[in-house]
Amino acid sequence: MTVSALTRPGQRDRISVKLGEIDWRLAGLLAFIAGIGAMMLYSIAGGSWKPWAEAHLIRFALLFGIMIILSLVDLRVWYSLAYPAYALALLLLVAVMLVGDVRLGARRWLGHGSLSLQPSELMKIALVMALGRFYHNLTAKQARWSWKLLIPVAMIGAPVLLVAKQPDLGTAILLALTGGIMMFMGGLTWKVIWPVVIGVCVAVPPAVMFVLKPFQRDRIMTFLHPDKDPSGTGYHIIQSEIAAGSGGFLGKGYLLGTQSQLNFLPEKQTDFIFATVAEEFGFIGCFVVLAAYGAIVFTALRIASTSHSHFGRMAAAGMTATFAFYVLINGAMVIGLAPVVGVPMPLLSYGGTVMVTVMIGFGLVQAVRVHRYFELPRGRGFLF
Amino acid sequence: MNEPAIFFEDANERQGSFLRRTVLVGGGAVLGLGALVTRLGMLQLVEAGRYKTLSSNNQWNYRVIPPPRGRILDRNGVVLAGNRPSFRVLVIRDETKDLDQTLNLVGELIPSTVDRRRQLLREISQSPRFTPVAVASDLSWEDFAKVNLHANELPGVMADMNEARYYPFGGAFAHVIGYVAKVSDNDMKKAKEAAAASGTDIDPMLMHPGFRIGKQGIEKAFDKQLRGQPGGQKVEVDSRGRVVGEDRDGDRRPTPGDDIVLTIDADVQNRALEVFGKESGAAVVMDVRNGDVLCLLSAPSFDANAFVSGVPGATYKALNEYDHHPLLNKATSGTFPAGSTFKTMVALAALEKGISPKDTYVCNGVFPFGNHVFKCDQHHGAQDMHGAIVTSCDVFFYQTALKVGPDLIAATARKFGINAVFEDIHIPQQRGTLPDIAWKKKTYKDPRQQIWYPGETPSFGIGQGYLAVNPLQLCVMTSRLANGKKALLPRLVKSIGGKEMPPGNAVPDLPVNPDHLQFVREAMASVANDARGTAFAAAQLGLGPIKMAGKTGTAQSHTYDGGHGAHGAVGEWKFRDHGWFVAFAPYDEPRYAMAVLVEHGGFGASAAAPKAREIMRTTLLKDAEIMARIQKQPGARIDAAPPPLAPDAMKSDLPPDMQDTPAAPASTSTPAVRTTP
Repeated sequence: MTVSALTRPGQRDRISVKLGEIDWRLAGLLAFIAGIGAMMLYSIAGGSWKPWAEAHLIRFALLFGIMIILSLVDLRVWYSLAYPAYALALLLLVAVMLVGDVRLGARRWLGHGSLSLQPSELMKIALVMALGRFYHNLTAKQARWSWKLLIPVAMIGAPVLLVAKQPDLGTAILLALTGGIMMFMGGLTWKVIWPVVIGVCVAVPPAVMFVLKPFQRDRIMTFLHPDKDPSGTGYHIIQSEIAAGSGGFLGKGYLLGTQSQLNFLPEKQTDFIFATVAEEFGFIGCFVVLAAYGAIVFTALRIASTSHSHFGRMAAAGMTATFAFYVLINGAMVIGLAPVVGVPMPLLSYGGTVMVTVMIGFGLVQAVRVHRYFELPRGRGFLF
Repeated sequence: MNEPAIFFEDANERQGSFLRRTVLVGGGAVLGLGALVTRLGMLQLVEAGRYKTLSSNNQWNYRVIPPPRGRILDRNGVVLAGNRPSFRVLVIRDETKDLDQTLNLVGELIPSTVDRRRQLLREISQSPRFTPVAVASDLSWEDFAKVNLHANELPGVMADMNEARYYPFGGAFAHVIGYVAKVSDNDMKKAKEAAAASGTDIDPMLMHPGFRIGKQGIEKAFDKQLRGQPGGQKVEVDSRGRVVGEDRDGDRRPTPGDDIVLTIDADVQNRALEVFGKESGAAVVMDVRNGDVLCLLSAPSFDANAFVSGVPGATYKALNEYDHHPLLNKATSGTFPAGSTFKTMVALAALEKGISPKDTYVCNGVFPFGNHVFKCDQHHGAQDMHGAIVTSCDVFFYQTALKVGPDLIAATARKFGINAVFEDIHIPQQRGTLPDIAWKKKTYKDPRQQIWYPGETPSFGIGQGYLAVNPLQLCVMTSRLANGKKALLPRLVKSIGGKEMPPGNAVPDLPVNPDHLQFVREAMASVANDARGTAFAAAQLGLGPIKMAGKTGTAQSHTYDGGHGAHGAVGEWKFRDHGWFVAFAPYDEPRYAMAVLVEHGGFGASAAAPKAREIMRTTLLKDAEIMARIQKQPGARIDAAPPPLAPDAMKSDLPPDMQDTPAAPASTSTPAVRTTP
């Protein structure tokens, strides 16, 4: 049975009804991308399920189940948990600062081995939820321009600075962009938006020169002039461009990509997997994958716009924005439109952390869809 | 309190603005994706031709050629660790028709691969395409020839020759130079972290099949220097990755690793290992003029070659569980009570305090103190300091230690290298324990244990109690005593890649009165050369005018309570006393100092001193100037070496050649049972 604004509240709470309300088209698109990812991982392992493709599929299946379960969780619970989750994430980020494990030269992890936790990933979800809750309690006028907007600025600024300090530039940028977009969607006045956008454009070059760590600056310099050092840091960009370009219109064919198979491509199973798609399936393949990503973004934005609660709107839109930024930044990086910043292609790249974040995020988006007729009161949630 | 109602107008305005902005965001996403598609179109449609050419030109690849690892040589150029050719069989997955069947056929030719089949399958399937994986190495010529003979029937299998690490002496130097082994996951993780921290790329050689990394000792400490720079073989691969051509001119030659020359003398150390036979212990020899370590032996040892190709689990387990601890480097990482060898330090401390060496104590075998009776196993009668060192009288040193106090004893010992860790040795060392009043306070939590009780001083005075030292420290102590001037540092590495390392004598002088040192040295000469000296019988070198000076030590390793053994080499092995002998020679013009430990060997004079004599003889006879001096002496001759010390003979308390000498039983020093009031 379908749900409408007039359905009796008791009926909406039935699990069977809720399951019917999940956006299965969106779920199907996610599975499609993850399937393509497994296919590519099979290919770059030289036609083998191990070590990546199998693990990728198992992980996705597990997280798909979790997404379904999360989508049944009452929006009031999400709302209640918004601030506690944010506080916990912030606390963990501070803890990482003090006692974190240094891995690959950066301090990002808490704990050791399989129980390790990257608090910046938790923050990606918590920030969206917390901002959603904050805007839920704001009037249109306040959201447009008032002193109260200092609070979301602080809520975004604190984790961005902590993450940038780790140093994890990719995640910091992602958090800042997501927060910015949410303030924009909340209704920030254009009078402020223009100066900020122009200010950022002016401030970036000097920041690159003086604030960034040398290796981060090198990456950006390499991006601007990759040919200067073709075997050193410019190598990634050149190889990935060659992989994409040599794919042509139809691609070299599945399992036949020479660039990726011969290890010319670095990080081929994580950050540069899209280059393998481009090489083996060509322009057509890339177009299909990007179209699928686009469809996901639009479906999710539509879910956001149909929600009756402002929290649902903002949270769903925020999660969508995070996802879209992942796709755009990684895509741009792989085909030489942006510097290498270590942002993976969500669901396509091998790696558990980002998949967890993305699938929990879509659990929230689906929950917004399932509970779109809920009227959420302002103020305190029913737990916290 | 929740707000009572929403303001419809405001809510509508809020929703309206959200929807407008959502459309804008959606438009932004379209623009972004559009930019990606446009760029892809440029790359893949407009410029596809150019990139396709680039991609096929790209097929010039470099194959890593590992450089020969630097050798490790002894001071005379004898190779301690070198490289030897090794025949290998490699499998290239993508050139085989059927991997399973290929492995079956290889298994028929080389049966050893059958046992490791599962592991090999994993290694082969995880390797990048067209990369050869070694399935068997160190083949005999016959096996190698067999594989070559069948090469036609085995597509994807090839046999080649590479260089493998080789330790010509097997075990004698295993603890000093260590060994190399396969790069483990852990090594890889560490290398990645180090590379990320410094912002450089990880050494590509680590990924090379068959590359070996230094795991222990000098091989580990100087892994970077020994490794060298890899070369590259420029090969042309077709679009499927098969090698179709080579460009000899494009090859980059590998730079071999640096050779490392040690200060070790292979002859001395080999002789030392031989002398130890099956027994457990350590021997350290130093040149007292410049600090060069000529011998750093830990016995029993193990064959380092076994570790290069991967030691079987059962062998490793056996080595690890054997109670003689062959894997432990006892010379630097084993710590033991010093026993009576420490009396040299107590005597020096007394002299430095201004106590006259003429003061005498009467020894009647016991020394009651507090509610405990400390024992000496002889009635030495009235003894001055010289006599007490010569006969190793405990009663004398119980009382001297009480007069000097633990802090001054510890401070003196510290000046002589006890409790020190020597950086220039480059291999791990255990510091041990040198107790004093502050140390007790710092170490113990319980306030009652933080106090130094007077009853603990007598034990300390005979090198027992809390004191624990390693053989290297005792050797440094002896060489500083023998040098008489400098606070010598031991040096193990002579040069790296031809670059000389700083010598051990570029150090400040010892802050000790040289006359006092002379007094102790004379007493040590008497230990070995007076008829009543504890080591008189065991320490005769038989080299004419070249005489040795030394000090015996019998260190109690375990309480005698509960029937666990008694003084000397009686009872169960693991409860027996440790035998020590420290020595230097020639006693009039010191050149070489040594410390010999026989773990649970019993009396120092019977277990350690005969070994020390043999090692010292070898050391001295290699010195041309010493030889000249022996031959210059009219009528002097080099006595034939005493009968070799067969391992079986060592099981008896005394070596056969001294069993009937009367001095031997007197060669004792008593460890005291520690008392806590």
